[in-house]
Amino acid sequence: MDLLRSEPMQLVQLIIPIEAAHRSISYLGDLGLVQFKDLNADKSPFQRTYATQIKRCGEMARTLRLFKEQMIKAGVSPSMQNTRNSVIDLDHLEVKLKELEADLLENKANNEKLQHTYNELVEYKLVLEKVGEFFSSAQNSAVAQQREHDVQTTVKGSIDSPLLLEQETTAFSAKQVKLGFISGLVPREKSIPFERILFRATRGNVFMKQAVIDKPVLDPISGEKVDKNVFVVFYSGERVKSKILKICDAFGANRYPFSDDLGKQFQMIREVSGKLSELKTTIDVGLLHWSTLLQSIGHQYEQWSLLLRREKAVYHTLNMLSFNVTRKCLLAEGWCPVFATSQIQKVLQRATRDCNSQVGAIFQILQTKESPPTYFYTNKFTSSFQEIVDAYGVAKYQEANPGVYTIITFPFLFAVMFGDWGHGICILLASLYLIIREKKYSSQKLGDIMQMAFGGRYVIAMMAIFSIYTGFIYNEFFSVPFAIFAPSAYACRDPSCRDASTTGLIKVRNTYPFGLDPVWHGTRSELPFLNSLKMKMSILLGVCQMNLGIILSYFNAKYFGSSIDVWHQFVPQMIFLNSLFGYLSLIIIVKWFTGSQADLYHVMIYMFLSPTDDLGENQLFVGQKFLQLGLLLSALVAVPWMLLPKPFLLKKQHEERHQGQSYSLVHSTDDPIESGPHSPHGHEGFEFSEVFVHQLIHTIEFVLGAVSNTASYLRLWALSLAHSELSSVFYDKVLLMAWEFNNTVILIVGVIVFICATVGVLLLMETLSAFLHALRLHWVEFQNKFYVGDGYKFAPFSFALLSDEDEL
Amino acid sequence: MGFFVTSLIFLVVGIIACLFTRICCNRGPSTNIFHLTLVITATICCWMMWAIVYLAQMKPLIVPILNEGE
Repeated sequence: MDLLRSEPMQLVQLIIPIEAAHRSISYLGDLGLVQFKDLNADKSPFQRTYATQIKRCGEMARTLRLFKEQMIKAGVSPSMQNTRNSVIDLDHLEVKLKELEADLLENKANNEKLQHTYNELVEYKLVLEKVGEFFSSAQNSAVAQQREHDVQTTVKGSIDSPLLLEQETTAFSAKQVKLGFISGLVPREKSIPFERILFRATRGNVFMKQAVIDKPVLDPISGEKVDKNVFVVFYSGERVKSKILKICDAFGANRYPFSDDLGKQFQMIREVSGKLSELKTTIDVGLLHWSTLLQSIGHQYEQWSLLLRREKAVYHTLNMLSFNVTRKCLLAEGWCPVFATSQIQKVLQRATRDCNSQVGAIFQILQTKESPPTYFYTNKFTSSFQEIVDAYGVAKYQEANPGVYTIITFPFLFAVMFGDWGHGICILLASLYLIIREKKYSSQKLGDIMQMAFGGRYVIAMMAIFSIYTGFIYNEFFSVPFAIFAPSAYACRDPSCRDASTTGLIKVRNTYPFGLDPVWHGTRSELPFLNSLKMKMSILLGVCQMNLGIILSYFNAKYFGSSIDVWHQFVPQMIFLNSLFGYLSLIIIVKWFTGSQADLYHVMIYMFLSPTDDLGENQLFVGQKFLQLGLLLSALVAVPWMLLPKPFLLKKQHEERHQGQSYSLVHSTDDPIESGPHSPHGHEGFEFSEVFVHQLIHTIEFVLGAVSNTASYLRLWALSLAHSELSSVFYDKVLLMAWEFNNTVILIVGVIVFICATVGVLLLMETLSAFLHALRLHWVEFQNKFYVGDGYKFAPFSFALLSDEDEL
Repeated sequence: MGFFVTSLIFLVVGIIACLFTRICCNRGPSTNIFHLTLVITATICCWMMWAIVYLAQMKPLIVPILNEGE
């Protein structure tokens, strides 16, 4: 059967001539069916043959990363435009990448320089404008004052206030003293401290005027937009000037020269504007060049990075091969599936032919006692279920794979805990959406949670389909039952329905044909009835699954040819489990068939405590007492049967196998106790005590586990109860209550709350919870009956499996 | 009785599903057995679920007791 056991694997040895080495490995990577063993494991990464090549690849990867950063900055996304399969050589690629990198960096440096100059000129222009305004307004007011003064002097020619006059003239003439000024820009946050420090440092002997600039300006040094003010500081004296200059530098205020001659001002403004527009066009051209460069890189980026990843992988693999003595061929050892033999041979022939090499590659199968990797050939549907199984442990080579049955039983057990066909339909729609959009999502990069949900889309779809089925069986549609298949089987005892709330209804018609009778929902005896039903159902399903597990262990024992395991493990285990819990399942079914009132707890407990007692009213069928006695005795016999024979038989088997070799052992070692572990041909020694303890642990685990695992299946009941109660609460207390008020607004609010609660709690949280518990039931209760799970997974060298993330 | 008739119906549906799978996706003997195993497992699981719920309701010991005011 397809997925039941691992594909048969073989250890192969490939001898490849050196010229064809690179090509053969890349072709084998395309094929993806060989897992190479590392033959140079003791060498450090720097001692290996192809270390320089890998360094080259690393360099190129760095360059590609730089390109990617630049592309992200420019907003160019790498597109897979050309699918031409031109085989670009690694050397050509290296040269090209170096050229492009130099070009890009030069462009970037130029752009930055130009931008810096541009920003400075913008600031200069602002300074010219604002300071020009100062001066013109100051001159106007000065002219106005002069005129006023002249008017005053002409009008007020009195002697009464000669001092005043003198003071004014002296005040006025003081203005004629030559003042120096410094103009520039200062960031707005620092303008007030700037002014204050200037004032203090120069003891108030400066005059400062500031003007606010409305728009933020690009600071040439930091490259960010900052709010700035234009300032003019008037001072007199050289020492004051040097102080002011130092303070300006400390505050990061950029200074620009200014001349108070009006004509020169206009000239400067014109010049600066001209330069600005020139620079702008130059910068624009530079940016355009940069973006076209990046776009052309963007077209080929994906191709290059794919090529680089492939080459790196090929060189890593080549490093694992060893040179043979003459240094003319490479030796490769690896695992491959048996069915791939002819494919690999063809690929090797093609590689040597394409390289025009004289010698062909040699393909040889080796015999080995090593345990091969496990390989299951899965498609996109079965791979997600196989991953669930592998998460617990990869199957030992050629042991039975629980994945085969997990494909059906896992969604089924989930559905037993989730049963509601309304919720099932919602989840089905969600998973169908993911399945329909498969192609689109598989090429995109998704977030973590979305990736997990997308990877499990088939699992979720199966879970949803089974949930719809169990939803019909439990008769719950968002907790509302419907009488779909037939009318309810129950009716009142008499036409007046007096006793309906005290002694209840009676069964008048045939049993409701499919699922739970719709009358139960909301009654007072719903929970006792349902609890009894679901608990018994959990036990029955659990016993079935555990029996399946033990039967799989029988198939394993038969496959590996171990009759000891069949007779002294499988048989006693079956007897023990079925004489206790199989019998329990039997009496549950008999009680249902006959409708007897026997107390099953009583029956089971007294089967152990006083098995010879008369059953009385708990008798379900004739001869029950003798059957119980018989089953109890067989269970008691089964326990030492699974404990004792196997270690002794294994010891006898080991001695038989090594009878012939016992003579050589005596010669080689002095100490007979040590002859076990040190026996030749890599054969394990036989420690009887170890084997016995192992078997003891196994027996105790099974016997105690029989009880605890059966009880563990009761979680099927528990979660299904939780789900139906939650769903019923949301329906009754939210939706129906909102309906009672007869108010549209409250109804809408109620509906929204209902939808949010259903989606959040039931569809998300309950799904995860039931998923987890179904998983646990599989991993522990089902698999510990037969699964060893200590193999390792087949990890072939394949380009398709290279990780998609940027591991460059 | 209703129980055996419906069980027979489950059996027939299971057989039809197996034949269907065989006709639709005939992909080599090993894969066929695999598909058959899946269909049979699904049929058995579904039948068990139905049978348990049906049997429990055939001869009930607890009857529905309605709430007051229903």
